[in-house]
Amino acid sequence: MTRLFQRHTRIAVRRVQRKKSPFIYKSYSKKPKHRLLRKRKAQEQRFRRTGLAAIVLASLFLVSLIWNIVASGYSAFTQVQVRIPVTYEQGLIEKEAYRTIIQKSLTELFPNVENRSEKRALFGLISRNAPYILQKEVQNNPSLVGERHEVWLPVSSQISIFYKQELYRQGERGGSVSPTEAAWITALAQSKRMRLSFNAAFFTNGDSREAERAGILASTAGSLLTIIVCVLMAFPLGVATAIYLEEFAPKNWFTDFVEININNLAAVPSIIFGLLGLAVYLNMFGLPRSSSLVGGMVLALLILPVIVIATRNALQAVPRSIRFAAAALGATPTQVVFHHTLIYALPGIMTGVILSIARAFGETAPLLMIGMVAFVVDVPKIFTDPATTLPVQVYLWSNNPELGFVEKTAAAIMVLLAFMALINLLAIYIRQRFEIKW
Amino acid sequence: MAKFEKYIRAGLLGCTILSIVITGLIILSVSSETFRFFSHVSATEFFFGTEWSPQTAIRADQAASAGSFGAVPVFLGTFLVTLIAMAVAAPLGLYAAIYLSVYAGSRFRAWAKPILEILAGVPSVVYGYFAVITIAPFLRSAGEMLGLSIASESALTAGLVMGIMITPFVMSLSEDVISAVPKSLSFGSLAMGATQSETIKKVVLPAALPGIVSALLLGVSRGVGETMVVVMAAGMAANLTLNPLESVTTATVQIMTLLVGDHEFDSDKTLSAFALGFSLFFMTLILNIVALVIVKRYRERYD
Repeated sequence: MTRLFQRHTRIAVRRVQRKKSPFIYKSYSKKPKHRLLRKRKAQEQRFRRTGLAAIVLASLFLVSLIWNIVASGYSAFTQVQVRIPVTYEQGLIEKEAYRTIIQKSLTELFPNVENRSEKRALFGLISRNAPYILQKEVQNNPSLVGERHEVWLPVSSQISIFYKQELYRQGERGGSVSPTEAAWITALAQSKRMRLSFNAAFFTNGDSREAERAGILASTAGSLLTIIVCVLMAFPLGVATAIYLEEFAPKNWFTDFVEININNLAAVPSIIFGLLGLAVYLNMFGLPRSSSLVGGMVLALLILPVIVIATRNALQAVPRSIRFAAAALGATPTQVVFHHTLIYALPGIMTGVILSIARAFGETAPLLMIGMVAFVVDVPKIFTDPATTLPVQVYLWSNNPELGFVEKTAAAIMVLLAFMALINLLAIYIRQRFEIKW
Repeated sequence: MAKFEKYIRAGLLGCTILSIVITGLIILSVSSETFRFFSHVSATEFFFGTEWSPQTAIRADQAASAGSFGAVPVFLGTFLVTLIAMAVAAPLGLYAAIYLSVYAGSRFRAWAKPILEILAGVPSVVYGYFAVITIAPFLRSAGEMLGLSIASESALTAGLVMGIMITPFVMSLSEDVISAVPKSLSFGSLAMGATQSETIKKVVLPAALPGIVSALLLGVSRGVGETMVVVMAAGMAANLTLNPLESVTTATVQIMTLLVGDHEFDSDKTLSAFALGFSLFFMTLILNIVALVIVKRYRERYD
């Protein structure tokens, strides 16, 4: 700085001696005339633009991330269905041969398909899940037996991809649909037997090997169970620790040690917590593998330091005068904390806790370590059931080579991001609505 | 009443002690498995060996096909990916922080800050997926245009995406540090006729340097411990290379692949994951402590 100043002073003095001061230029001219000044102004502009570019670049990345995921995922929220005439024959229903019923109506639609392999391809148009749908309908409405109805049934994954590609003109053609199949679909579409409907199955099914059946209900339920365990464990522990450190702890080496320890714990990689869960919870305590109980306990350790730090900040923000006033009226130290300080700090604490829940919600790596990568079809009901979480489901589907899972993965990410947005909005709402500015 | 107070206080203290117990448990559980590992495989082989193929050792009694546990390629891969990530995150995060704290008007801040916060809140598995689906093919075709062959799983892809992921973290830390520098310093510099950028480069940044260095170190520690992005984008093969266009593996990836789906704790293969985890834990611990010490020791006090 001093060097810069000296240099510029020297230059200025020299110029003034030559009666050509660069600093005395017409005040209304924006462009500095002197070479050095021009250079400095240009440098300033460059620096400023680089800063702006950094922010724009980061924003562009976010936009392209969201754009890409929405573009490849939105089609998963629709389901391609085909309308076929179904005769609920009593004999077949008694034998539970719903597959045969569907096959019959398909041959009815395309009577000139006789070749065996072609027939198999024809039957393959309809989802393998379709017989179960018919079965459910008959169970719900037994009067259907013997009648004939037009029924909308989901098509198989490959056909669905093909149809959506034709419809949305999206992506590269990767589906393996033969010309005959394509011709069938065109024929069906021309006779208004194809439609897109909302894919409710995506929200009501568990995982499946078949892309058209796979849904996120099981993993979302798993996420919720895991978060419940996590909060039940981390919230009281974290808040209690913070209260002790902030309000009661004497200033000594032990307190310093705990503080350093918690700050370090906050920066330990999440996968290490997975190792801890594996070695301690599973191998030492013998808790059930892949359960939301263990998952929640691992995530609780992960967010514990975050909650402690947030709670301490919230407690610090409460002015001393509140504590003094309460104490002056005869409140004991614990009464001061629990009846006054804590109440005022609560909005801040809740904001911190909710934000840390968002972090736990998106965590994947430690859960993989404790075996929550299980293939979970059924919705977990209790904390010891094998479960998986939404981000883990995203990871599992992204590893699935089948083409139908690409849109499913992106759609699951959309749901995950929507959850994250909701949680964050809740935190913002609480902060705006309840937090007290002192 | 006094007794009740005592109980509550003891309860709070108990919770506090639990947080130490957790750290103790981490160190104890991970280190005990690590020591078991080092009783089978020598530490010198682990830290200096250049061949990493643990998958061959399935069970302890399969002496004939004991794997090799030279972790140098793994650590080198971790280093490479983190280096690329920091090459992205350090300039982006620093420039963004400077722009936001010095140049940006309040209206610009109002929409730029939330965007960067969203970027920080996106789960890492989403970044991983984005790296695989979008960034990797993009880099491949860009590389083909330049006549380079980029592997579909490359250190470059993982590093770039991880860098973007760490950027908001580096940014918010360094923004705090920059705004903590007293205004009187920069006012003094501006009054001497220095431009805004000269003030930042020659007055503000030197004053904030310890804080910025520690922010960068914390960013490195984040990168070293990041798992999902590298698992999905960097690959599994332990190549001993510093070429960012090739596929590399990192410590976190190896821990994942070695332990996921494995129930037995008796083989060198699973134990080696704990040895890697132990090294990872200490790497990040040292980084964090150094970051803390730098701030404590070198911070200039102005009040």
